[in-house]
Amino acid sequence: MKTLIIGEIINNNLSSGTLEILSKAKSLELDVQVITVGSDENPSIGLDLCKQTYLKRQSNSLNISKAATKISEIIKNEEINLILGSSTYMCRDLISFLSVDLNSSPVSNVIDFDVTSENVSTVNSINGGESLYKTKINSDKTLLLIRPKAFDPAEVNFNDDFETIDLDGSDIEVFDIFIEEKSGPQLEDSKVVISAGRGMVDKDNLELIETLASKLNAAIGGTRAIVDAGWMPYSQQVGQTGKTVKPDVYIACGISGATQHQVGMKDSKFVIAINKDEEAPIFQLADLGIVGDTLSVIPKLNDNI
Amino acid sequence: MKIAVCAKQIPDPAIQVTYSNGTIERPEEQVLDDTDRYGIEVALQLKERFDAEVTIISMGPSGTQKGLQQALQMGADKAVFVDDESLKGANSLMTANVLSELAKFLLADIVIFGTESTDGYSGTVPQQVSRYLDIECISYVKAIEVNENVTLTRQTVEGSEKVNMPDKCVISVTAGGVEPRYPNFKDIMAAKSKPIEQVSISDLNINSTQNLEFIDIETVENSKTGEKIIDEGEAYQVIVNKLKELKVI
Repeated sequence: MKTLIIGEIINNNLSSGTLEILSKAKSLELDVQVITVGSDENPSIGLDLCKQTYLKRQSNSLNISKAATKISEIIKNEEINLILGSSTYMCRDLISFLSVDLNSSPVSNVIDFDVTSENVSTVNSINGGESLYKTKINSDKTLLLIRPKAFDPAEVNFNDDFETIDLDGSDIEVFDIFIEEKSGPQLEDSKVVISAGRGMVDKDNLELIETLASKLNAAIGGTRAIVDAGWMPYSQQVGQTGKTVKPDVYIACGISGATQHQVGMKDSKFVIAINKDEEAPIFQLADLGIVGDTLSVIPKLNDNI
Repeated sequence: MKIAVCAKQIPDPAIQVTYSNGTIERPEEQVLDDTDRYGIEVALQLKERFDAEVTIISMGPSGTQKGLQQALQMGADKAVFVDDESLKGANSLMTANVLSELAKFLLADIVIFGTESTDGYSGTVPQQVSRYLDIECISYVKAIEVNENVTLTRQTVEGSEKVNMPDKCVISVTAGGVEPRYPNFKDIMAAKSKPIEQVSISDLNINSTQNLEFIDIETVENSKTGEKIIDEGEAYQVIVNKLKELKVI
């Protein structure tokens, strides 16, 4: 099946989400090409595995819709049937725009998919991973938004062999571009993640988590509840509507473990949960569960590590 | 300025959703999705600045209309909704198709959403609506400054960026982006007399299709039989030992 992967650039290379989808597409022996959308000047994104096209946009203009228009044109001209993107901010925009152009509803939050000569089918994780929801797509064009970490990334050699298409800007000017300082381990690729929930009681208590994180060289995440409360930026949210993490060790501090949170962390290799409530659902996922006050346990950890 | 803001009625999120033939079962009484409170708050801030009219748009089983009432209690002027049996299990594109038609019906300049609903969480409807309306989508807005201009701060993968709100656009607001207001008793009473109008689907131009077919829901066993310790003051030691064993320290 003719397949298009929408690529995204992180640190001048293709994002891990893009490479994860590429490895799955290759394993299904799909006829695949990548179209990457970004604003980097000289990215190294050419691929030895398949054709790469770079749609270059200006960072000072909000023109993701223009990128979608160009991609729609390519999909129609080249008779592409399957369009895949990672569930990131930009790909969600792009796939949504394309779905209207192609009059085919996308499937979001896909964790696995299969392609036969007849059709495409998908698997979604629902109810915090307790159930798998299976869908068959009955349209000529299939659009899938795939959750990060669903597949292992493809091993590729990057080169400079790709075509670049410059996109027009839009009337909406972008200013005050702020690049978050990426100091310390990042959620997506850290081997240890410490997450905080409502059981931390107060924003000021997050200092305890920060101290522990620096001792363990860990990244810090949080539940939607505390992100909504403004304790942490949205970029640190772990769960259904935030990031998916898969570290070697996940330490859940004062997190009850709502299904929406579980989806983002349930594939962690070793889960340590600290929670006052013995019945908290997080303990069902924990390899080591401590029934106790996280505000009394963490200071002791900090003093003894 | 006319503003349409989406409000979805969802089953009480404290109770795990159940599915019937692949579709979420919806009780008579549904509540306002908290996600939408952020969008409504943004709409109300714009209303205060521009003397705009704010209309709630909604699709789905209307039931007791509790969720719509909650949206009106926050301060929206009126509500229009579509409730039709043919929309049961509607995919994201069809939902966006219906909501964009409602926005057209209202001649809305600005259409505002939360980023994704708490029950369906497809996270694509705002962008799809903008495409149907052929206007730009300012997605993942996490802050708004209302001065001479309206400046919107967008969440991006690397950090954030700002844009000035154009005359016509769709905005999606992230949870936590603004502080939704709580209605007082007077607001709650006032909402009861605000108009709620049902629009017939036959009056809308719907050309999307149900291209996604439900196959199956399979239950997976993923509960672990891990070690569980009641902390009596020394449980930290177990964690320290485990972290050593796992070579984290």
